Amino acid sequence: MVTLDTTTVEDRPSTRPAGIRTTRGHRVFQTVNTVILLGVIVVTLYPIVNIVARSFSSDAYIRSGKVNLWPRGFNLTTYKAVMTNSMFWTDYRNTVVYTVVATVVAMFLTTCYAYVLSKKDLRGRGVLVGVAVFTMFFSGGLIPNYVLVTTLGLKNSVWAIALPNAISVFNLLVMKAFFEGLPAELEEAAAIDGLNTYGILWRVVLPLSKAVLATMVLFYAVSFWNSWFAAFLYMDHSDLMPVTVYLRNLIAGATNGTSVGFTEADATAVGANIQAVTIVLTTLPILVVYPFVQRYFVSGVTLGAVKG
Amino acid sequence: MTNISRRSLLVTLGAATLGLAGCTSSGGSDKSTDLSKNRTDAMDTFAVGQQFKATAPVTFSTLLNDNPGYPEKGNWLFWTELAKRTNVTLKPTVVPLSDYENKRSVILGAGDAPFLIPKTYPGQEAPFVASGAILPVSDYVDLMPNYKAKIAKWNLQGDVDTLLQDDGKYYVLPGLHEDVWIDYSFAIRTDVLDALGLQIPKTLDDLHSVLKAMKAAHPDSYPMTDRWSQPTPGGALLQTLGQAFGAGYGGGWGYQNATYDAGSDAFVLTGAMDQYKAMIDYAHTLVAEKLLDPESFTQTDDQAEAKFTSGKSFVISTNAQELVNTYRPGLAKSVPNAKIVKIAVPVGPAGDVKVGLRLENGLMISKKARDSKDFVAMMQFVDWLFYSDEGQIFAKWGVEGVTYTRDASGGFQLAKDVDYVGLNPTATKKLNVDFGFSNGNFAYGGSTQLLESTFSAEEKEFQKVMTARKTLAVPPPHPLNADEQEQFALWEAPLKDYVQQQTLKFILGDRPLSQWDAFKSELKGKNGDQYLKLVNTAYDRYRSKKNGSDKS
Repeated sequence: MVTLDTTTVEDRPSTRPAGIRTTRGHRVFQTVNTVILLGVIVVTLYPIVNIVARSFSSDAYIRSGKVNLWPRGFNLTTYKAVMTNSMFWTDYRNTVVYTVVATVVAMFLTTCYAYVLSKKDLRGRGVLVGVAVFTMFFSGGLIPNYVLVTTLGLKNSVWAIALPNAISVFNLLVMKAFFEGLPAELEEAAAIDGLNTYGILWRVVLPLSKAVLATMVLFYAVSFWNSWFAAFLYMDHSDLMPVTVYLRNLIAGATNGTSVGFTEADATAVGANIQAVTIVLTTLPILVVYPFVQRYFVSGVTLGAVKG
Repeated sequence: MTNISRRSLLVTLGAATLGLAGCTSSGGSDKSTDLSKNRTDAMDTFAVGQQFKATAPVTFSTLLNDNPGYPEKGNWLFWTELAKRTNVTLKPTVVPLSDYENKRSVILGAGDAPFLIPKTYPGQEAPFVASGAILPVSDYVDLMPNYKAKIAKWNLQGDVDTLLQDDGKYYVLPGLHEDVWIDYSFAIRTDVLDALGLQIPKTLDDLHSVLKAMKAAHPDSYPMTDRWSQPTPGGALLQTLGQAFGAGYGGGWGYQNATYDAGSDAFVLTGAMDQYKAMIDYAHTLVAEKLLDPESFTQTDDQAEAKFTSGKSFVISTNAQELVNTYRPGLAKSVPNAKIVKIAVPVGPAGDVKVGLRLENGLMISKKARDSKDFVAMMQFVDWLFYSDEGQIFAKWGVEGVTYTRDASGGFQLAKDVDYVGLNPTATKKLNVDFGFSNGNFAYGGSTQLLESTFSAEEKEFQKVMTARKTLAVPPPHPLNADEQEQFALWEAPLKDYVQQQTLKFILGDRPLSQWDAFKSELKGKNGDQYLKLVNTAYDRYRSKKNGSDKS
C-alpha cells in the first residue's frame, strides 16, 4: 500500500535545493491525492470482491442483501453446477476461438496496413490514410452491415466476427506512428544487405516493435473477448454464441423476468449466485493475463504517441 | 463489455426502419383473397376440434426468444412430438432474451426475418407496420377457425380491436386470455397481524388502519416498503392503487396518458382525473404518516427485498413468483417463524373490479411467408398450436403419459419425475428445461382453467377472489394514422414523464396537494390538450368509419 514518506524528505533538506523543498502545499496535495486514490481503489475493488464473495455464497443470503466482502453460506455447488453446464463450456470455447482467430487476423491486417502507411514517400498515402480515418466518422449503419455480412455468407461463422472488426483505426494510427519512429537508416542498411520489403518488415521492423505489437495484441484480444454485439447479431444458434452473450442473457433473465411482469413461463429466475459465478469465470482469464502484459501496454502506447 | 447505448441503438433501428419504409411500402397491393397457389401441404378442411397435420413434411422458420432459465435444446421432446403430430418441423433462429427486440428489429429491417416471430407484445408491432415487412394477419383469420372461435366464445373482439392500425387491420396475432389475469398484489406478514390481533385487510381503508397499528407497535420502522420502482417509480404499487381508485389502468406501469370516460364518450387526461388525485392523496397519506417508506419510489428491488426479508418491514408488493422464490426463503433465514401471504388486491372506491387487457404477447408473421406455397398450411399450423385447446395443452403440459397425466375431473398432474415451478420438487427433470414445454414462445394464454393448472393451491385461492371481480370494458380503439403517430410520439413521453415526476412530488410531500389545479394547468403546457384532441379525433374517425360500415 502507498505510504506517505514526507518526513524523510523533511529530515534531509540539504540534499535538495531550497527552491523545490517540499512545501506545506505539496504535502497537503500528496495527502489529498493519496486519500482520493485510495478511494478509487476501494470503489474499483469493492464490486470485484463483492462478486467473488457472492459467487461463493448461498442464494438466500444474496437475495436478502447480506453478502458484502465475505461469502455467507459458503458453498461450491454453484461452481460445480456452472462448470458442469455444457452450454457454458461450449460458449467459453467459442469465445477463445473467436478471440484467437479474430486477433490473429486483426494483427496481420493492421500490421500490414500500418507499415505501408508509415512510408512517407509512398504515393497515394494520404488517400489510404483518408480511407481509414473516414470510417472513424462515418459507418455504414447497422442494417446495411447486417445485409452485407449476410450476403457474403459470413453468418454463423467466425468470419462474421473477425472480418468486419479486423482493423481498428485507432490501433492502426498508433502502430503507424510507432513504425514512423523507427530510424529509416536501419531499413536502408537492411535493403543494402539484400533484404526485400517483406524481409525488412519481418526480420528488422517487427523484432524492434515488440512493445507496440504486445500492446495491440492486448487491445484486440481484450476487445474481442469482451465483445458480444457482433456475435449476437450474426449468430443464429446458442451453441455459436460467445460466453459474453451467455452471461448477458443470464443476467437479463434474472432481472427482466421478475421486474417487468413477464408471463408465467418467463418468470423462471436465475439464481443470483449463478450470475456471480459466471461473471467470475468469464473475467478470470483477462484478469490473470492483464498484469503480465501491462508493462508493454503502457510503454507501447506512449512510445507511439511521443514519437508520432 | 462493449457499450452501445440502448438509446443510440434504438435511434439507429428506428431510422433504419423508416428508411426501409420508403423503399417497400409502395410494394403494391397483395391479393389477399387468392390463395390458390399457397395451398401446398395444407389440409382441405380444417376446423375446431380437428388435429392439424400437414399432408407432407414441411419446415417453417421461427424466431426463438432464448430464455436462460431454459436454454434451447435441439432434442426437446417439444420439437419431435410437434413434428410427429403436425408434420411440421420448426427451424429456430435462436436469439438471447437479453436483446431479443434489437435483433428482431434488425432482421426485420434487413428483410432476413423467419416466417414466425413470436413474443411480440401488443404495440411492439407498430414500428414495422409502415415498412411492409410484416403481414396484416387480420386479413387471414378466416384460415384460423380456433382463433375465431375463441374470440367469439370469450367475447374478445373489443380487446382485439385495440390492435387495429389506421388501415383498419392488425399485424400481430395476440395471445388470448379467457379472463383478465391479475398477478400483482401485496405480500403481508400474517404473523405480525396475528400478534397484533388484526385481520387481513380487504379494502384500502383496512390496509391503512393495519399499517397504522403496525406502526404503533413498531414505531421505529416503516411497516411498508416497496419495490418495482425502476425505471417507473411505484411501478406496481401505483398501478394497483390507481385501479382501485378507478383511474383507468392506474399509475405506475399501467399509466397511460389518456383514459376513456364512458360518461362523455371521450378520452380524458388520466393525470388530471379526480380519481388519479384520490390515488395520490392516499399514497401521500401513507408517506406522511410514516407508514410507507419514502424510499419505496426510488430504491432498487434488491434494497426493498432486503428490508422486507430482514424483517424491517411487513408489507411489500408481490406477484406469485416473488412470494415463493424471494420473500419466503429470504425471511426463513432471518425470521424463521414468519408467515407471509399474498392478499387479494384491496378494494378501493372503484369497487369489486379489475381492469386489464385480455391479450398476451403474440406472433407476427413475416410478409415473405405470404408468398410461400405453404402459407395456408402455416396459418392452419399456427392456429392449431397457439389457439386450439389441444395445441395449448400440448405446448404447456407436453405429452400425456410422458410429462403429465390427467385425473377424472380434468385436472393436470405432472409425471413423477418431472418438475415445473416447484410443483414437484423432488423430480429430477424439468418440464421446460428438459422437454421444451411451458416455453414462453409457444405456451401462453388460454382458458382460466389451463392458466391456473400450474398454480399452487394458495395462488388458486387468490385467483378465485380475483376472478369473481368484474372485468371492466376495454377502452375503444383509436388508431392513429402515420402523421398522427409521429406527433403522438413527440408528445407522449414528455407528458407521461411530467405526470409521473409530479405524482412522485405530490406523494412524497415535496409539493402540496393544494397545488393540484396549478398542476392541471401545467399539463396544458405539456401539450396535454393537443394530445387529447389527437386521440379523440382518431377515436371519432374510428367511430364514424365503424358506424358507416355497420350501416352498409
